[in-house]
Amino acid sequence: MFIYTRPAYQFCQVVLQGYLDEQFYQLEELQDESSPNFVEEVVTLFFRDSSRLVANIDQALQKYPQDFRRLDNFMHQLKGSASSIGAAKMKNECTSFREFCNKENREGCLRSFQKVKKEHAVLKQKLENYFQ
Amino acid sequence: MEEGEGSNGGVFEGGLEVRVLVVDDSPVERRMVEGLLKKSGAMFQVIAVDSGKRAMEVLGLTDDKAEHPTVDHQKVDIILTDYSMPEMTGYDLLKTVKEQSCRKPIPVIIMSSENEPQRISRCRAIGAEDFILKPLQTNDVLRLRSYARPTELSPRTGTKRKMALELMAENSGSDRRPRLAGLAVS
Repeated sequence: MFIYTRPAYQFCQVVLQGYLDEQFYQLEELQDESSPNFVEEVVTLFFRDSSRLVANIDQALQKYPQDFRRLDNFMHQLKGSASSIGAAKMKNECTSFREFCNKENREGCLRSFQKVKKEHAVLKQKLENYFQ
Repeated sequence: MEEGEGSNGGVFEGGLEVRVLVVDDSPVERRMVEGLLKKSGAMFQVIAVDSGKRAMEVLGLTDDKAEHPTVDHQKVDIILTDYSMPEMTGYDLLKTVKEQSCRKPIPVIIMSSENEPQRISRCRAIGAEDFILKPLQTNDVLRLRSYARPTELSPRTGTKRKMALELMAENSGSDRRPRLAGLAVS
């Protein structure tokens, strides 16, 4: 669970490092008296949903390694979620994965997926550091 | 299904609330769109569902209406649906809504993360009012109101609230946001 108490400018570091883009500021702008926990809510939703999707992709790579359509569908969902919160680096790695799917390159998918997981883990750590 | 609380039951100055049915299988994107709609002023009441099938239930378009009591579809002013969803896509939902024989079918706006001309044409060809690129921005949400059916907007009574139009997220590029030459529904 993330507890969000810091003002927007303190996220500059995370933005400058490229992990988040300006889309994240939209989350902050949507937080107000009527939705006081909006940022926390959406970030929590994101990590819950993205963890599920990462697990699905992991499983699919093992059980259905040639089903690139299935893999692409999962990654499309993950990329969409990442885009919504401004997770720029993660979004870029998702795009790479989809390109490998398009070329039906399993080795490329496997390598790319490791990067997706890494960016996911790093982002989670960085947001945890800022929120708590 | 998540039912919005109608922007705290307020009525914005000079008008009526627009009841928006948001359809998206992503919980993150659903919540973001809902947040955008509510932040744009007390003009939108949001019903958010996670699938085309659930949307059909809300709209009263399922075969078994007895088992699934539904909201009268006339109370939904706009449908804002993701294009890519499992089982029933946004395109399928759009097609079904537009095939209804009622005099004034509900306006349907498609959301997609993919800027594909073929996809846009396809949706336009069967009556989509607009096509918006994800992630949505405040400007996208504000123009939704123009698609609502003016004769059937849901009046709400309650405490008046000043419409909050101050929030203007920076639009990162209008060329990213293809628009159909849609018509405001008469």
